[in-house]
Amino acid sequence: MDLSGRFGARSGDGVPFREAAALESLHIGGGEEFRQMVPPENAGGFTALLELPPTQAVELLHSSSSSASQATTLHSLGTLSFPSNPLLMERASRFSVIATDNQQNGNVSGETTTTSSVPSNEHIKTEPAETETCDQAAVEKQSNRCGKRKELDKKVKSSTKKKNKSSEENEKLPYVHVRARRGQATDSHSLAERARREKINARMKLLQELVPGCDKIQGTALVLDEIINHVQSLQRQVEMLSMRLASVNPRIDFNLDTILASENGSLMDGSFNGATMQLAWPLQVMETEQSYHHRQLQQPPSQQWPFDGLNQPVWGREENQDHGNDHNNLMVGSTSLHPNQVKMEL
Amino acid sequence: MQPTSSMKEEFLKKWQMGLQIYRPLIDNTSVSERRKAIKLSADVAMASLRKGTTCWSRALIQKTATEDNFLVRQMLSGIKAETLINKKLPKVMCHRKIVRRSKMILRRRQSRSAIEEVAAKARKLVKKKTQGLRNVVPGGEFMSNDVLLIQETLDYIVSLQTQVNVMRSIVDAAEAGSERTAYYLGKLKFAIEDG
Repeated sequence: MDLSGRFGARSGDGVPFREAAALESLHIGGGEEFRQMVPPENAGGFTALLELPPTQAVELLHSSSSSASQATTLHSLGTLSFPSNPLLMERASRFSVIATDNQQNGNVSGETTTTSSVPSNEHIKTEPAETETCDQAAVEKQSNRCGKRKELDKKVKSSTKKKNKSSEENEKLPYVHVRARRGQATDSHSLAERARREKINARMKLLQELVPGCDKIQGTALVLDEIINHVQSLQRQVEMLSMRLASVNPRIDFNLDTILASENGSLMDGSFNGATMQLAWPLQVMETEQSYHHRQLQQPPSQQWPFDGLNQPVWGREENQDHGNDHNNLMVGSTSLHPNQVKMEL
Repeated sequence: MQPTSSMKEEFLKKWQMGLQIYRPLIDNTSVSERRKAIKLSADVAMASLRKGTTCWSRALIQKTATEDNFLVRQMLSGIKAETLINKKLPKVMCHRKIVRRSKMILRRRQSRSAIEEVAAKARKLVKKKTQGLRNVVPGGEFMSNDVLLIQETLDYIVSLQTQVNVMRSIVDAAEAGSERTAYYLGKLKFAIEDG
């Protein structure tokens, strides 16, 4: 499989009933339905749909209520003014019924923010925190586009193959429609290719944002290079860190964790417990988000030792943390002389 | 997105759980064995955060299961462990060279314009890179879909960053502790020798 959208391998196994099955599976509430969009056989389902002559495909789309629910998800969320097109009205009505029992209210609301906030028709900015939600939303939108596109291609014969928003739908929706060239309307291969490419480009954008330094790069190959380098460097860092941890006093790395585990529960409220320093060489481990970064960025660890001077809130916050103050500061003392004792000290 | 604090906490707890399994074997004094133990438990902890929803996490768990089955079983509770370990791996994709050669045979008759050639070269380059990405991401060979591959990469990168952040802070703390310990030990020794 290649990024350039080789469609040939898929088209052979597309079958209408598979498509219907795929669409029905989408109707199932919960996160699973979007996960099912991801596996290849279902992704092939939509492209199989595109293989059919347009009329059959549209009929399929009409008949499957689940695709309607999908397609209208964005409609009813946005400030859509529906055209007089009966099909879309029907779908809107169906959605209003389906939406209430749709378990994916979380995703749906997530999409609301994304769709309303993204004016461009090109890409989906994923606001939700979790990757899975993002991907589900992205996948859902892609599937919506596939469905919508088929209908509109039937109606329009424009001469340019470019991404357009459908004039029938609200401008705010990030629909991407591909209008085929004259004489290419029935070339479902290129349409499907374009659909896949859109999906891939959307996700590549996400990756570019994640990997530092990828924004400036033009071209897929170089971006992929950067991504590969980033992943490899992260993997190497993990190896290095595990080596460092292993070479430290052996008792510490194993005891540390029992200590953390035992103290974790008691400090969950985030309250600072006063405790006395009992031994000369306690070991401190911070669990706060601030500490995770500040230990690396600011003072060298040795400066943490003036215990009365420890003011963790003073350490600036460089990360944006939702739960910045919710986490406990965990201070652990352990010594080489008393490996099994825990000293709590703040 | 960046690693959230809840993800870090979860990872830390799971990693601790894994390390505790190794605690009875604390007399594996060799550094490399300890390193391996640490890394394996960290990997399984990272993969178990996803609870089997992503392809890379399943592949990673299966990979570590080949090295240390016991650890994996202990760390993942109950039924999940069985299904994840015993599940057969998906069929590996067909060998790329064979596919490429057959394609070239089919393509031989096509006429090429200059633009087409450039585009074809660009496509080849991209294909190479995606293959490289598959090699890096665990379980990449089983992802036949490009879209899936990129999604998995996204998730994998975020999880790796969580892992790195947590491990780095633990290591810093541990090293600080040992530095301090060494310092005080030295001082003590000095004091004893003096007195």
